[in-house]
Amino acid sequence: MPGIDECLLEAMRLPGARGAALVDWTSGLALGSVGEFPGGDHEVAAAEAAEVARLTAEQRAFTPDHGEDDRADPPVEDLIISNRDSYHLLRFVPTSFDSSVFLHVWLGRSDGNLALARIRLGEMAGRLVLG
Amino acid sequence: MTLVGTTPRGTTPPPRLPVREKSTARHRAGTGLSPMLTRLAAERATGVLERERGSLYLAEGRVVHAESPYAPGLDVLLLTHGTLDPTVWREAVERADQEYGAARLLLDAGRIPRGALELCHLGALYDAAYFALAPSSAPGRFVYGAGHWLGALRPVPVDALERETLRRRELLERLWPDPLADGAPLLRSEAVAAPAATARQNAVLALVNGVRTASDIARELGRQAFHTLVDVRRLAAAGLLSALLPPPPPVAPAAPDPPRGIPMPRVNDPDITLLKRLRDALEAL
Repeated sequence: MPGIDECLLEAMRLPGARGAALVDWTSGLALGSVGEFPGGDHEVAAAEAAEVARLTAEQRAFTPDHGEDDRADPPVEDLIISNRDSYHLLRFVPTSFDSSVFLHVWLGRSDGNLALARIRLGEMAGRLVLG
Repeated sequence: MTLVGTTPRGTTPPPRLPVREKSTARHRAGTGLSPMLTRLAAERATGVLERERGSLYLAEGRVVHAESPYAPGLDVLLLTHGTLDPTVWREAVERADQEYGAARLLLDAGRIPRGALELCHLGALYDAAYFALAPSSAPGRFVYGAGHWLGALRPVPVDALERETLRRRELLERLWPDPLADGAPLLRSEAVAAPAATARQNAVLALVNGVRTASDIARELGRQAFHTLVDVRRLAAAGLLSALLPPPPPVAPAAPDPPRGIPMPRVNDPDITLLKRLRDALEAL
C-alpha cells in the first residue's frame, strides 16, 4: 500500500512532471513534496496553491448539480491551471476521515499530457487513502 | 531545502535580495518558539517535551508525535467517521510495545491504508504541535528516553514544524486579529449582509451553542482543531459568530486606586463588537 512519498514519486513518473506535492488546503501545509516548484520554494508554492484550491472547493458555482448531497466533500474533482510553459493539476483527495487535501502536480507544457495526468492522478488519489 | 549562495573571493557580493523571514541565520538560531526544542533537535535527543499546552515526542531530534488537550487526538480523527473500527484501534494500542508501535501493527495487519494513516497522523501532529508551541508562562520539561506507543511513522524536522507553527499563527492573525474566539465558548450572532457560510463552516456553526469552544467543536466533528480555528476566525470576521467573554475577574471589595485610563467594558454588546471590528479593519489599512 502506498504512503505519501510513494504516491508523489509515482506522480513524478508522469510525462513532463516537474514537481508533485500533497497539500492541505485549509492550512496551506505541504504534507509532502518532491521535485521542483515554481519560484524554487515548495512551501510558498503549496500555500499559494492551497488558497486557489480552497476558493474552488468553497464556491457553490462549482458544485455538481444535484446539490442536496452536501456531504460530497470536496465537491470538486480537480482543477487545471495552464500558462505558456506549464500546467498545474490540482486533484482533490476524498477521504473517509475529515480532511482537506489535494495532490498538486506541475507539468511541463511541451512534454506533459494533461488528459493522462488527470486520469492517473485520480487513480493515485484513490489508492493513497483507500489502499 | 535551503540553498546557500557563495561568492567567489575577491569579488563584491551582489546586494542582498529581499528574503522572507526564513533566512539562513534565523533558521539556524531557531525560530525562537522554543529554544529548548531547538537544542534538543541539535543534540538529536529522544524523549518527550512537555509544555503547558501539549507535548512533543522526539526520536533522534525529530518530532514523531504530538498531543495537546486542545486538539483532537489521532484516535478521534480516525474513529469519528468510521475510518477505523474502535476495537481494532484499542487492540493495536494495547499490543503496542517499544519495537512494534501501534501504527506498525495497524499497517502490518492491513487495517488501514498507509496513505490514510500518514495523512491523519501528520494532520494530528501539526495540529497538536500548534498548541504545544503556543507561548506559555511555564518552562517546558524534557523526559529523556520516553517513546510513544504509536511508534514513528513520518518524523517531522523541528525547524519545519516551528516554521509551520509560525505560519499558522500569521494565517489566523490575517483572517481575524482577535484571538479571543480561539479558547472561549462561542455564540452565534446576527450579521447584516454577511457572506454565506461554506459547507464546512455550516458544520461548525451548527455546533455553536454558547458553551462549546472551538476545540470542543473540533472534537465533535472529528476535525483538526486548527482547521476549526480557521473557520471560527473567518466566521468571526464575517460577524456570524462571537466569543462569549469570560466573566470579569473578582475585584477586591475596596480597590483603592482605580486603574488609569478608561477600563474596557467586558460585555457582549454587538455595538462594541462592531466598533472593535471597525477599529481592527482601520488598523489593517
